[in-house]
Amino acid sequence: MTDDPKTGAWQNADARALGETQRQFDMDAVVGYILLIGVLIALVLVAGALIWRWMNTRTLWFDYKVTGMNLFELIVEEIHLAAKGAFRPRLLMSLGIAMLMLTPFIRVLASMVYFMAALRNWKYSVFTAIVLLTLTYSLFLR
Amino acid sequence: MISFELLFPVSIVAGFIGAMAGMGGGVVIIPVLTLLGVDIKHAIAISILSVIATSSGSASAYIRDHITNLKVGMFLEMFTIAGALTGAKITLAVSPKPLYIIFGLVLLASWLALLFARHQMGNTGPQDRLTRWLELEGSYPDQVLGKVVHYKAVRSYFGAPLMYLAGIIAGLLGIGAGAVKVLIHDLVMGLPPKVSTTTSNMIIGVTALAGASVYLVAGLVEPGLAAPVILGIAIGAFLGTRLLVRMSNQAVRRFFLFILLILAVEMIVRGVRGGL
Repeated sequence: MTDDPKTGAWQNADARALGETQRQFDMDAVVGYILLIGVLIALVLVAGALIWRWMNTRTLWFDYKVTGMNLFELIVEEIHLAAKGAFRPRLLMSLGIAMLMLTPFIRVLASMVYFMAALRNWKYSVFTAIVLLTLTYSLFLR
Repeated sequence: MISFELLFPVSIVAGFIGAMAGMGGGVVIIPVLTLLGVDIKHAIAISILSVIATSSGSASAYIRDHITNLKVGMFLEMFTIAGALTGAKITLAVSPKPLYIIFGLVLLASWLALLFARHQMGNTGPQDRLTRWLELEGSYPDQVLGKVVHYKAVRSYFGAPLMYLAGIIAGLLGIGAGAVKVLIHDLVMGLPPKVSTTTSNMIIGVTALAGASVYLVAGLVEPGLAAPVILGIAIGAFLGTRLLVRMSNQAVRRFFLFILLILAVEMIVRGVRGGL
């Protein structure tokens, strides 16, 4: 019977759960696409760097070293080199590594906005802030 | 001796085997790189970078399917990231020999966990106070069961410190340590298998990032190695995951698990002998 109170309760619970899922829909999609697009951009940059390197030198091996630099110093160094006219395949390669490492970071940043602005869940805003701060610390390590 | 032409196909195979066995590519590429003569710390650094790519790639689809629990993920990430920083710092400080042995032992333990994986349902009973305060519960639309599955996590006070240890393993060895994380989610926190696997996948990405940052500053990330390995593992894992979806054959999975077993034993033997 459709008016069976038990069945009705079940349906209500499921409908509520689905409702929560629906409300989360946008954020889940945003977080998912951030990860997908970030990784794809990183892979395309690395592949582009390799093709460029091959066209220039007929080798597929990068022999530069990254030493004593954190991610931001690496990015600054590469842009600095490029700005001085040394526009080389290693720029794409380093940016590929940087993009890869920034992808999970951007995902956490987006989650922060979600917990703060959309859900107004301060508990999880604080947790996300702790994750973000620890990651920022690790990216600025010396 | 090591060249792109060698490393690229090897990395594709490593990513493929990792995906088919239900683990990441890291557990395969690290032993292979060291066999090819790469120093184990450089291998670990490159592997952890590729872990970011594979975990983020697969996490993407699961999050969009509403299976991943963002709150469980965010809460536990606080602990795994701290662990990864600790683990990577330990790797920089120790000699290579114990790394081989620990790697082999962790691989062996993950192997056993995968082989004897129990697939119980998630907890639906009462929660402890801390876990309830943490709002660690949820529901997801299960396509196989054709209904919304509700679950309530438990014992987060025990899960959190264990996840710190899982983070140490990930940072120390440059792997996702997904099997360890899934085990904690399943057995300690009572998450349903699908939620624990997919949430662990999301956690692996940021955990690997923390470890990778330490290795980058230490100068262990060599772009020459990174290019073929990252691209190769991503392609191999993509192919493996696609094939895995179409196959339900346990025999095939056991074959790939067997390869992991050989790698685990081989790493332990090399560590003990010390010849490396």
